[in-house]
Amino acid sequence: MIRRYWKFLLPASVLLGILVILMINLSSNLVYFHTPTELYTEVAPSSDRLRLGGQVVAGTVEESGEMLVLTVTDGREALPVEHTGVIPQLFAEGQGVIVEGTWDGETFRSDTMLIRHDEQYRTEDNQIYDSVDHQLEES
Amino acid sequence: MTSRRRPSWLDIAAVVAVVGALVFAMTSPRVEAQGDSARMLFIHVPTIWLAYLAFAVTFIASIAYLVTKKLNWDLIAGSSAEIGVVFTTVAIIGGMIWGKATWNVYWTWDARLTLTAIMLFVYIGYLALRRAIPDPEARARRSSVLGILGLVQLIPVHFSVTWWRTLHQTNTFRPRDIQMDGPILAALLISVAAFTVVYVALLRHRYELAQLDLAAHEAAAATEGPVAGDAVSAPSIGSSGA
Repeated sequence: MIRRYWKFLLPASVLLGILVILMINLSSNLVYFHTPTELYTEVAPSSDRLRLGGQVVAGTVEESGEMLVLTVTDGREALPVEHTGVIPQLFAEGQGVIVEGTWDGETFRSDTMLIRHDEQYRTEDNQIYDSVDHQLEES
Repeated sequence: MTSRRRPSWLDIAAVVAVVGALVFAMTSPRVEAQGDSARMLFIHVPTIWLAYLAFAVTFIASIAYLVTKKLNWDLIAGSSAEIGVVFTTVAIIGGMIWGKATWNVYWTWDARLTLTAIMLFVYIGYLALRRAIPDPEARARRSSVLGILGLVQLIPVHFSVTWWRTLHQTNTFRPRDIQMDGPILAALLISVAAFTVVYVALLRHRYELAQLDLAAHEAAAATEGPVAGDAVSAPSIGSSGA
């Protein structure tokens, strides 16, 4: 009985083992970006490149020369960002962004900006299919 | 064998469904946050749905082969995986075009994108494995193991956006909480249905082709067998025996 199934069980267990090891090792690396809260509490300032993600705080966006100054928040902490480089088309106040660069403990200096749009597909009258449930959640 | 067949009702239905879905896709209301680039939704979601469906069919057909030992199940498994690989590729390419328009990058190594790429390569490996084994029985036995194991990775692929922080947005379709407005949702469901018809039509053609391949292989084996045997038995004429 075991002889019949070892051909199946051996690759299955090897594959499962690789998958588990991969998951454990990647679980920290698979985090694509850090939040402002994490930068303040967990991530030590250094010259290493990292990614910061959050929403652009309304009223904080300012252009000064080549630089775009903005504040990014995760709802708890807000972090000032100085961005030099291309500004994506969908960039706007309140938009989710991911910036790539270095953090010195006070300001995040980025040269690459990505847009992280949400999973909602609203029409221009600002509805989603399950809007009743959604209102209940918010109140 | 029939030489040139007329397209079946299924082929016609597939074409009509896709054209119809295209009309809905192009006339559906604009997505407020993204504008017209969000119309990529109507290609991206149905193609990755087909990839999931195709690999699930490969999984079921592989189990069915191991239980029944009927080669036809293996032919379905192989045919379906081939379609799955094509549509995974289309989903990735469509996603890249969409990503450039919204995220500002074609590709990045976040969890969803990386795991989807791995899934594509595992199933390309599955197809390579099938080509490497000429004997139909051995091919069916060995590839069915990979066809079953391969499906496991669909779970991390699908939930990667929930389990890890990614650039890719989280799942829009959450149980009883769909983050999409009605008209867009309707157009998307029509598109998913249309692509599913395309899958069924493609699978039928590929399966028929696989059956012809198998028949040709068996016919060749039947005629080649005695020829090879003759070559071996020829020296025995000179000897005393036989």
